[in-house]
Amino acid sequence: MKIRLLLSLLAAVFLLAGCHSGSTRISRPEQFQSQPLIFQFPAVDRFRTANGIRVFFLEDRELPLVSISAMVDGGSLVDPDGKVGLGALFAATLRSGGAGRYAPDAFDDLLEGMAANLAVATDTYATHFELSLRREDLDKGLALLDDLLRRPLLDRERLDLAKKRMAEAIRRRDDFPRELARDRFRRQVYQGHPLGREPTVASVERVSRSDLVAFHQRHFHPGNLWLAVSGDIGLEELKILLDKTFGDWPAAAFTAAAPVPPPQPPERELLLARRNLPQTTIIMGDLGIDKNAPDLFDALVLDFILGGGGFNSRLMRQIRSDRGLAYSVYSHFQVGRRLPGLFWVGCETRADATVEVIRLIHAIIEDLRENRVSESELRLAQESLINSFVFAFDDRHAVVAREARLDFYDYPADYLRTYRDRIAAVTPEGVLAAARRRLDPQRFTIVLVGDPALFDAGMETLGMPVREIPAAGGAGAK
Amino acid sequence: MVKSTRILALFLAGLALLAINVHADGATLEEKVKEYRLKNGLRLLIVERPDSPTFAAHIAIGVGAVHETSRNRGVAHLLEHMLFKGTKTVGTTDYRRERRLLKEIEKVGEALDDLKFRSPGAGPETEELRRRLTVLQEQHKEFVVKDEAARIYAENGGVGFNAYTSRDLTAYIVSLPSNKLELWAFLESDRMKNAVFREFYTEREVVMEERRRSYDSDPQGLLVENLLAAAYTVHPYRNPIIGWESDIPFLTLSKTRQFHDKYYAPVNTVITLAGDVDADRAYRMVERYFGDIPSGTPVPPVVDVEPRQRGEKRIGIRFEAEPRIMIAFHKPTLPSREDYAFDLIDMILGDGPTSRLYRSLVVEKKLATSVATSTLPASRYPNLFVVSAAPRHPHTVDEVEQAVYEELSRLAAEPVGAAELDKVRNRLRVDRLRRLKSNKSLAGMLSYFQTVAGDWRYATRYDREIAGIGAEDVRRAAAAYLHRDNRTVAVVTRGVP
Repeated sequence: MKIRLLLSLLAAVFLLAGCHSGSTRISRPEQFQSQPLIFQFPAVDRFRTANGIRVFFLEDRELPLVSISAMVDGGSLVDPDGKVGLGALFAATLRSGGAGRYAPDAFDDLLEGMAANLAVATDTYATHFELSLRREDLDKGLALLDDLLRRPLLDRERLDLAKKRMAEAIRRRDDFPRELARDRFRRQVYQGHPLGREPTVASVERVSRSDLVAFHQRHFHPGNLWLAVSGDIGLEELKILLDKTFGDWPAAAFTAAAPVPPPQPPERELLLARRNLPQTTIIMGDLGIDKNAPDLFDALVLDFILGGGGFNSRLMRQIRSDRGLAYSVYSHFQVGRRLPGLFWVGCETRADATVEVIRLIHAIIEDLRENRVSESELRLAQESLINSFVFAFDDRHAVVAREARLDFYDYPADYLRTYRDRIAAVTPEGVLAAARRRLDPQRFTIVLVGDPALFDAGMETLGMPVREIPAAGGAGAK
Repeated sequence: MVKSTRILALFLAGLALLAINVHADGATLEEKVKEYRLKNGLRLLIVERPDSPTFAAHIAIGVGAVHETSRNRGVAHLLEHMLFKGTKTVGTTDYRRERRLLKEIEKVGEALDDLKFRSPGAGPETEELRRRLTVLQEQHKEFVVKDEAARIYAENGGVGFNAYTSRDLTAYIVSLPSNKLELWAFLESDRMKNAVFREFYTEREVVMEERRRSYDSDPQGLLVENLLAAAYTVHPYRNPIIGWESDIPFLTLSKTRQFHDKYYAPVNTVITLAGDVDADRAYRMVERYFGDIPSGTPVPPVVDVEPRQRGEKRIGIRFEAEPRIMIAFHKPTLPSREDYAFDLIDMILGDGPTSRLYRSLVVEKKLATSVATSTLPASRYPNLFVVSAAPRHPHTVDEVEQAVYEELSRLAAEPVGAAELDKVRNRLRVDRLRRLKSNKSLAGMLSYFQTVAGDWRYATRYDREIAGIGAEDVRRAAAAYLHRDNRTVAVVTRGVP
């Protein structure tokens, strides 16, 4: 309610601001002057229930809907060797396998009767739930979520179906060149670490229902659950509802084991997946950073300048806009939450420009390692990141879900509040240092999907060992 | 600029429908939309939503790939790319001096295209022209301020600065902090009045790369492209938005300019602003910046009429990928009763884990690993109801296909029960509510229906219309259209063509 009032005050401010322009028009963009944007962080309520559930809440009365995101600590990182895929099978079976008094089909029918959306997915560190309900179904919907969290049936037949579908997904893993390239890149760079594994038909086959039950028992406790709620409901009402629904869920101790960091990636190598295609998919990169890296903000600005800033980035400008060699070319620093993420550059180019484009990417990166970026290029990156920050608060559920996520991953409490200042504090020297520390083309793994017979030069001219990746999936099976 | 088809597919998948109640307090969306028309014919829709200090702007030009002919296929999409290349004021160091050079580049470029067309293969004359073009392009760099509009929007906190081309329309979108409304009005009206098509020959290469990426290297893109070309014999919905591989290299600057000058005009334009804007102020702003553009002439309707299909069509495609199948049936489009019936059919057969096809093919028979339904390729003219599926090894596309037909026959034979009908109507209504959450999707939706259905109120009247469609309407529509002689089947299987 407070927020509502504040925003209507803001609207009034803009109204006044608008009057000054009268009937004149600007004729050049630099004549444009805007009133400062007054921006207040939406006030997210955060509290813990008696049994330890962490709750993040933001009221949003515009539509008669309620959104709930839940996170449980525990993801695919803890899949045992030999049973890789367990986390994903757990999520699929949890979602489809019924809960409480409801058999699988009955559970789905109930949700569908309310036109509710429910998705469950496991990523590296967590099992995620996304639930969207009409306001009037909130009691019923929360009861179903409670069943799912505490009393899942993990139906055997649905597990069997999930395993069959995952085996099919493994067959289809190499159908799309971009997915194939990304998958091989990840496996190569994280080689020898759980992050570099992939499910196989055999590892999926080994997973049994008792593995899922054990996963559930180990991870699903109120103290290990983060809830983000937004929508057409008040704080007091929510507290009462949560107490009614989850109040008798006994607390239990759970400590996540600290993950082992990945080793240095193997010696650089070029991996080739031979495909009869007119265009080569290129992925190249290295281990990246994690959220605690001291140069995190330098790296974020560096990434914008290199290839994260769309048309305002060097990769896009030099490879697409200047030369017409690609439709899509970009870089990405994946900020690892607990372990280092990946850094990569991705691009697709016509087969007979493959080696030229790889050399261009190398040269663009070398330049960032050798020369300071100009003040104006730095300023563009900073202003874009800072001025678009307000869009991080555009969707009220995204706001509250992000608060929960930041808490889950132990971000500093002032991370969002200081974000803009920390971007603004980045210097050309900082960007240069981050480029030198984080981007070394001499270490990069390269993955190519395409037809080397059509390339503009031999791959050996790139001066790194070349290894062909055998066809996998359905092709390998034949 | 972007993926041309995905966004449209999203619209059609959800069939972009709207709720009556936007606010819990009962104010209706119909009341919330403020509608204006400038003297030059430009239509402006505004929804004030002051919750967050941002707004989304969606400009729809009612011309798309369906309005092309065999002489300029792909031009709507290439033009969309060119409209990111600046204007007489944005993107140039000195337009007056630049203009002479641009003319020369065009002369050499067109001569080169002409030669390529008449005698493919590089002779000495081609080489000479190519060399001259490179020299001129190098000289031109001095005048280019690269991607300046993208830079200005970015510095001002803009996000999602993009565009898409569909068969029915072309749209230009951006979201901005709410104190940047005038900047938006200036940049977008300047783009409409003063576009300069610089760096054309480079951008044409970018579009070739886009084609290779989205169709020639993608089994799903390839399958859809071939399906549409087989399902339609006459109607231009058969052609890919991006153009065929042989079309793009011969799209010329003059064809691109002609298409622009003919159709990019206020009379064909719908602008929707949604977010933290004051409607009266925004209207005056739009009038001030867009009001002096000559109204132009309306896009003429497409005259080609697809003849009734007289029997099953079937095609196969080879790609290094696991098999997939798509089955398409011709059907009427909006605002016919049958089209509403197909919205219900779409939900009954293909929406979520309780849908008939999912339960039958994925859960019970375990023949398919996934199955989906959709409407392709656009909605201004009669379109297609499509079932897509991926078989689960060792099951075959044939088995999957037969299982799909069993469900379609059931729908044509037995009326849908009241509970199931209620379930899907309810689902349509609530999903529409969810789509209202973001300014961007709300703005896109209103512009879309104003352009394609001729009235944005199509969206707000939707619930009333759908409530009037009963079990017998659904059965009749299924029986009339979902049969063998009206279908096109496209299958991709592993192999090298």
